[in-house]
Amino acid sequence: MADRMDLAQRIKPDQVLKHGVLVVATLVALMPSLFMILTSLKSQDEYIFNKVGFPQHIVFEHFHNVLFESDFLGWMVNSIILAFGAVILSTVVSCLGAYAIARMQFRGRSLLFSISTSLMAIPPVVMIVPLFVLYTQLSLISTFQGAIVIYAGLITPFSVYLLTSFFRSLPKELFEAARIDGAGDLLILLKIVIPLSLPALLTLVVVNALYVWNDLLIAIIFLQDDSKRTLMAGISVFQGRYNDQIPLTMAGMVFASAPMIILYLAFQKHYIQGLMAGSVK
Amino acid sequence: MMKRNWREGFSRRELLKTSAGLGAGVALNGLLPSMAARAAGPDLNMWWWGEQELPGLKAVVDDAVKSYTAASVKPMLQDTAVVISQFQTAAAAGEAPDIQFLWNGIYHMESVWLGYLQPLEGLVSDQVIKDSSPTLLSRFGGKTYRVGWYALPMIWIYNKDLYDKAGLDADKAPATWDEFLAACEKLKSAGIAPLGGGIQDGYWGEWYFGHAIAQNVDSAGEVIGLFTGERDFREPKYHEHWVKLEELKKAGFLNADMSSTELYPGIDLIPAGKIAAGQSVGARVPKDSEMTKGRIGTMVMPVYGKGKLAGKPIFDSQGLGIPTKAKNPKDAAAFLEYLQSPEQLKLLHDKTGWIPANTNFDLSVITDPVVVDMWKRWGQSENIPYLANLVPGQFYEQALLPSAQQVVEGKITGEEAGELAYKVAKEWRDFNPDIVENYKKWSTDLGG
Amino acid sequence: MNHSARFVPYLYVAPLVALLLFVFGYPLVRIFEFSFKMVRGIDGPWIGWRNYDLVLSQPLFWESVQHNMLLLVAVPFMVGWSLLIAVVLYERLKGWKLYRVVLFLPYILAIPIIAVIMKKIFQFNGPVNEVLRWLSLDFLALDWIGSSDVALWTVMMLIIWRESALGIILFLARLLSLDESLIESAKLEGASWWQRLWYVIVPQMKVVIEFYVVTSVITILSAVFSYVFMIGGGRGGPGTSTMVVELYIFNALIRTSLPGIASAVSVMLFLVSLLLIVPLFAVRRRANEEEMG
Repeated sequence: MADRMDLAQRIKPDQVLKHGVLVVATLVALMPSLFMILTSLKSQDEYIFNKVGFPQHIVFEHFHNVLFESDFLGWMVNSIILAFGAVILSTVVSCLGAYAIARMQFRGRSLLFSISTSLMAIPPVVMIVPLFVLYTQLSLISTFQGAIVIYAGLITPFSVYLLTSFFRSLPKELFEAARIDGAGDLLILLKIVIPLSLPALLTLVVVNALYVWNDLLIAIIFLQDDSKRTLMAGISVFQGRYNDQIPLTMAGMVFASAPMIILYLAFQKHYIQGLMAGSVK
Repeated sequence: MMKRNWREGFSRRELLKTSAGLGAGVALNGLLPSMAARAAGPDLNMWWWGEQELPGLKAVVDDAVKSYTAASVKPMLQDTAVVISQFQTAAAAGEAPDIQFLWNGIYHMESVWLGYLQPLEGLVSDQVIKDSSPTLLSRFGGKTYRVGWYALPMIWIYNKDLYDKAGLDADKAPATWDEFLAACEKLKSAGIAPLGGGIQDGYWGEWYFGHAIAQNVDSAGEVIGLFTGERDFREPKYHEHWVKLEELKKAGFLNADMSSTELYPGIDLIPAGKIAAGQSVGARVPKDSEMTKGRIGTMVMPVYGKGKLAGKPIFDSQGLGIPTKAKNPKDAAAFLEYLQSPEQLKLLHDKTGWIPANTNFDLSVITDPVVVDMWKRWGQSENIPYLANLVPGQFYEQALLPSAQQVVEGKITGEEAGELAYKVAKEWRDFNPDIVENYKKWSTDLGG
Repeated sequence: MNHSARFVPYLYVAPLVALLLFVFGYPLVRIFEFSFKMVRGIDGPWIGWRNYDLVLSQPLFWESVQHNMLLLVAVPFMVGWSLLIAVVLYERLKGWKLYRVVLFLPYILAIPIIAVIMKKIFQFNGPVNEVLRWLSLDFLALDWIGSSDVALWTVMMLIIWRESALGIILFLARLLSLDESLIESAKLEGASWWQRLWYVIVPQMKVVIEFYVVTSVITILSAVFSYVFMIGGGRGGPGTSTMVVELYIFNALIRTSLPGIASAVSVMLFLVSLLLIVPLFAVRRRANEEEMG
């Protein structure tokens, strides 16, 4: 019975149409990445007359140049430092704050939560003028610590929102049982709540790290020093410097996008979940 | 002017010359305190720019710093987008460096008016200042605020082979606009794009203005009048250059992909034989000449105008200055003088292949006749300043670049460009009344 | 409950409050202050409403606003395309999971990377136009990046291309949680594919569609800086055809050194974003309720 239905499905013409739609959509989605990869393997001379299509001669010199003779590696390290620092700072601050909001009573609790959540809708660009002026006065421009604080601040409202929802969903009995055993708030947070929250925390880390990694605006304004440049700001510089050397530029893009693509393919589920939850970013 | 990106011949050798080494080292630089061997004497902070435009300059700076023993110089390469704003905000907060890289004209003059830069007279010897070719545009109130660093002749270039192919005399570039139009006709008939480059990023329009506005004015001060309101862009002679650009576009003399090509890739098209002529900078001539085996010619923009400055070669320089609140101005001045010494001038040429602005530079090391010829006419003869350096930032962003882009696109006429320029100049005056006053004062230094 | 415990919650939220005050509170107050001053460097004299006067009478400012508005045209396309693809994926044809992995790829790549690639692809003499010309579709080979008439739409195409990926995933997730029996019974009653789509499926997607619309609008008004910066060559080009409000603020601060002007525009953008907070809260609440319910 199942076989016959299967066969019937396969023959229907509108199945072909639906597959067609998906194939077209997939090609559209893939095309830039395909171009990026194929072009990065062509020599500069070949690209001039073979823009579309497979490379006739595969060359790796562009990758060599990007890896060893450009600043890409350094930029990537800077981005990692920032993502790391901002995510850690924000996660700690958010866990403490969300825990109190979710499970403690205090005056101003709901006001704090409402304000914190509303901040998610404020465009980051609105904050840059005063922060830029302040940072110049405090000599914090082009410092990791300065930028980390800003990034942490920008990602915290979302973190608090997510963690509060999650903490609120934990069963009350858990806390009651622990309190009866004499555990204080901090212990409960560290030994019970956090371990249980690992899925939510993982989602949080993914979304937040991505946000910092992908950011361009804050990076350009607050990390102006050549040695502190992030990957995204570096891409802007790189493509400007070598803008007529398209295969080389594409090699740089391959390099820059590789971490994300690898992480995506490895952790698809968390990635997708995280991005859906963070879709206001 | 801003962001003159310069294509590097991307051979590995070039890369090694300019590379910053492995990434980890770069990042560590940011985290750990400077481990460089420290010279005795005071610490000098030097904020600079130019590697983006003149590859090899970083090696020059690093070497100079290493060999200089009277102070410990800490150089920091700035990003193009923030050279000025980073300096100005630091200066306003009292955190200025000891030495600051300065583009010419308004790009640093604004900082002078805000009180962020101090005159070099009294710190650097007058002779050194003069020899370093800071140019007229570094002067205000009778004082000079920069020493020149490397030279920036603004030129037009043409491909001699293509001129031959069209039946033109490759060794005699058109001198008048009519001659030029005739040459363009011949080139067009031969299937060659007569003029152009890339205007997608806008800068081509700035260069064009710098070359062309000179044709109808008698002094730099007259150009200032266009911004302070004493003169009007709507007057035909002050927007004639955009009208001429429109004519070129209508006659089909510009390359078809000009609007979607960027400045430097656009210049590349000329030695590559795709376009016959276009605007360029002197610093590119050595490489372009090498690539075409000497078949690159340099010329002044063909003349149509009747101003005193018409038909003269344009000479500009990048420079360095000393902020007002520099912690060690005398030591900074000593380092600036050091950079003008013959050995350092030679070092600059060795590492970048280009010519320092200082007139004492020993030219015998230059062998390419094309470069020598260009330098004779631009560096060593009567020349005029690069007038685009007078343009206020707001006007630059909102009128100077967009106007030429839109004329080349065929979206507006030359006259409409004049209208836009007038309007935006007025807006600038409204937004920045404090700077307008200073512009008026500046005009007296510039013969206005 | 002992006395000392009462201030303990405040200890827990103190770091949070401090961070938010620093990154949000301080700037949001100061942009108002700066907007009434002629700021050069770090401060300046009080000039009242002048910054607002200047900005509101400047054509460039309104152009920027207009461009943001025009970009909103992307939203219906994003919804339409995402919905279509999600529904087709929902059919769970062979290999649908693989399709899904690939279709989400655009959202994985960072915007600057995508913008650089697209900028090269859509150059006047680049691959796209080359193919179009080869197919004798020369009239379609526009100057995608270099023409001030086209450039903004190119940016919009890019936004649709990338943001749709998110829509596809959101809609698909919702679809997969739908009650299939309704669709089955509609099928049995003879409803066509379109009828099933419009009368059974879409009504059940109302909440997630609204959520997607609101978040997309917020994105377009406040998070397109990266797209525009990379495609428009950092200054909203060609000409001023891709200038948007975020870039206007950036330029006013960094390029023309007018923090007062930048602050005035920041204030206005901030007030507009406040207007969007209410719908955002509403759609979030409804989306959460749907998930739980």
